[in-house]
Amino acid sequence: MITFSNVSLIYPQSTQTILEDLSFQIAEGEMVLVMGETGSGKSSLLRLINGLVPHHTGGILAGDISVDGISTRTVKPGSLAHLVGIVGQNPVNGFVTDIVEEELAFSMEALNFPQDVMRKRVEEVLDLLSLSGLRNRSIATLSGGEQQRVAIGAALVMHPKVLVLDEPTSALDPIAAEEVLSVLHRLVHDLSVTVIIAEHRLERVIQFVDRILYIEGNGETSIGPADEILKRSELVPPIVKLARALNLKEIGTSVREVRRQTEDIRNRDFAHVAAKKNVGSVAIEVNRVSHSYSSKKALSNVSTTINQGEIVAIMGRNGAGKSTLLHTIVGLHSPDSGVISVNGVDPTTLKGAARRRSIGYVPQEPSDLLYAASVEEECAQADRDNELAPGTTASLLNRLVPHISQHAHPNDLSEGQRLALVLSIVLSGNPEILVLDEPTRGLDYQAKSVFALALKEFATQFNRPVLLATHDVELVAELTDRVLFLAEGEIVADGSTLDVLLSSPAFAPQVAKIMAPKPWLTVADVVEALGQER
Amino acid sequence: MSAILLAVGVVALDNAWIALAIVGAVAFLVYIRRDGSPWNRSFNLSLRIGATILAIRTVVGILIGVPIPGTILFRLPILDLPSWMPGIRIGGAVTLERLSSSLHEGVIIATMIALFGAATSLTSPHKLLRVTPSFIYEIGITLVIATSLFPQLAVSARRIRVAQKLRGIEKIRIRSIALPLLEESLARSLQLAAAMDARGYGVSRKRSRYRPQPWLMRDNYVVLATLFTVGVMVAQ
Repeated sequence: MITFSNVSLIYPQSTQTILEDLSFQIAEGEMVLVMGETGSGKSSLLRLINGLVPHHTGGILAGDISVDGISTRTVKPGSLAHLVGIVGQNPVNGFVTDIVEEELAFSMEALNFPQDVMRKRVEEVLDLLSLSGLRNRSIATLSGGEQQRVAIGAALVMHPKVLVLDEPTSALDPIAAEEVLSVLHRLVHDLSVTVIIAEHRLERVIQFVDRILYIEGNGETSIGPADEILKRSELVPPIVKLARALNLKEIGTSVREVRRQTEDIRNRDFAHVAAKKNVGSVAIEVNRVSHSYSSKKALSNVSTTINQGEIVAIMGRNGAGKSTLLHTIVGLHSPDSGVISVNGVDPTTLKGAARRRSIGYVPQEPSDLLYAASVEEECAQADRDNELAPGTTASLLNRLVPHISQHAHPNDLSEGQRLALVLSIVLSGNPEILVLDEPTRGLDYQAKSVFALALKEFATQFNRPVLLATHDVELVAELTDRVLFLAEGEIVADGSTLDVLLSSPAFAPQVAKIMAPKPWLTVADVVEALGQER
Repeated sequence: MSAILLAVGVVALDNAWIALAIVGAVAFLVYIRRDGSPWNRSFNLSLRIGATILAIRTVVGILIGVPIPGTILFRLPILDLPSWMPGIRIGGAVTLERLSSSLHEGVIIATMIALFGAATSLTSPHKLLRVTPSFIYEIGITLVIATSLFPQLAVSARRIRVAQKLRGIEKIRIRSIALPLLEESLARSLQLAAAMDARGYGVSRKRSRYRPQPWLMRDNYVVLATLFTVGVMVAQ
């Protein structure tokens, strides 16, 4: 269906080739995962398939790409619309109309389809993706998972033979991600659509894919069956890490396969290690807080306390009130009712330097905080703001991620580097609490582990609390001590990470699913327990 | 459309009171037709810009300009200007006539801006695109990029300001907001253009309608009524 022959790609004014001499074939009805570190050229590769690269972005392309016999070199992306459907990372930015039904029909309108055909196909897609209840809704009011489904639907109405998705689940909670992936699985199996998908959170997609295209850091690419590639790749999901740690003969990609191989471990008895967490004094107190936006209730009667030195995750579906709770805690707005105190101070009264010293906040878009022309200036500004010796912030950054070019523009950094920059700027104020809103979107495994280490260090070294809202179950399992679970603006669960994650199947990390009913969340937990036995 | 016609009328009529009345009527219209989309905010924004312009225009009108004789309200000290700038003076007597004429001009300009603000706040750029015929494809894409920029700017600017306030930056520095803002809106617009390109926009010269919006008799009445009003205003 798709043939790449000797494809190389280079952008003008860049010394590095994005892709070099890449050749592979993808058959009809295959589901292929494209994986690689951030900035390795995954998005470029995906957009080569329908010709957006180089027709839309520029760049020099060598070699040839053909989709269903048509060379993308000679045809504009629009003329491939009936053949290749593409769904971007952030579907909201790609929507052209306001209403679900009209959005679905847009492509067909543009290609002048007769009205009766359009009607029929829109109905089909509404049924296929179970969107019929939403047909007349305004797109802006839909949840993230629903929007992603609409974006897929808008591509599917053209009956494309190839569907290309760029990180379709990165902004979604685990349940919505599951929804989207099961739809894709069905398309591959029932309609024999060829699906090509790029994703960082391998644990979510790995069980669905047939083959993996792995772009390594040094530009080498390899393609092969999932377990073969994963055997030697550096980027691996927890399930493969577990298999490696236990020296299993075969690397499984689904929970079921690995469960079969680890039966004997689960049947052994282990001494239960009690949680050894010492409880510090209260740092943040949230007392009966309610908040609503115009008529929508975002938080209702939330009460909790967060202690010094604790790392707490706030989880819940999109729109459950996670961001609102964080905004209230950092003092963005005063709640409609209830009291919040951060180390005894009402956060809405904090200003300027006092704010930097008491609350460190990393927003959902870390780049909102950056405005200088280079990394160097940005660090110098933070030093000046906090009256630190010049170079303090830069050395902090250097410890997080070494080898960032001091002269690079913040926009040219990779997601992980940019987050590290923002984090070191925020940490340079030496804040008493640290609050992060969805910090790991778009990070690969390596960047994520660096980031988790930095947070852990902050919490233990200074004995200060860290609060983060996230969808990333694996990160929560690795990092946090406690989980607050929000639903419809109320706290529905509040307890140790172990208890909360194990009690809900949708939010359980891979290792826990494999090792259930044993109370282990991460590979490290399993290794530790096995080590003690010996 | 109506906004442009009305604007022509306002200029032709050159009367501050009618202009203010029109702004009131438009504000009411915006209020009853708002649907909570981000575009609705742009009307408020345009009102604010209008008010700022009105204020600046009035102040400048009082300070600088050719003296108009009439009732003297108060006197400002006259600044001595070099002799090569004849006929212009800064300060001096402020007459009622001068004040009212500058206010008047300011109101007219502010009204125009408010009218365009109202027009953009009621039609989302997405809707606008759908009625654009595809033979002006390139223009269509440019139009969407341009029009979707403005209201989203307002939304993003708020978000960035909030984030920076939380970093403890209290002073509003244009540079610190403008840079992330510009970067984001550019990226967004490019994404939208790429998405439209990928979905076949502009490939076919003709385009069909999924739910055609028929041109109703009602629409004719609206156009006729506006034309009539404008006609009366121009004729005055």
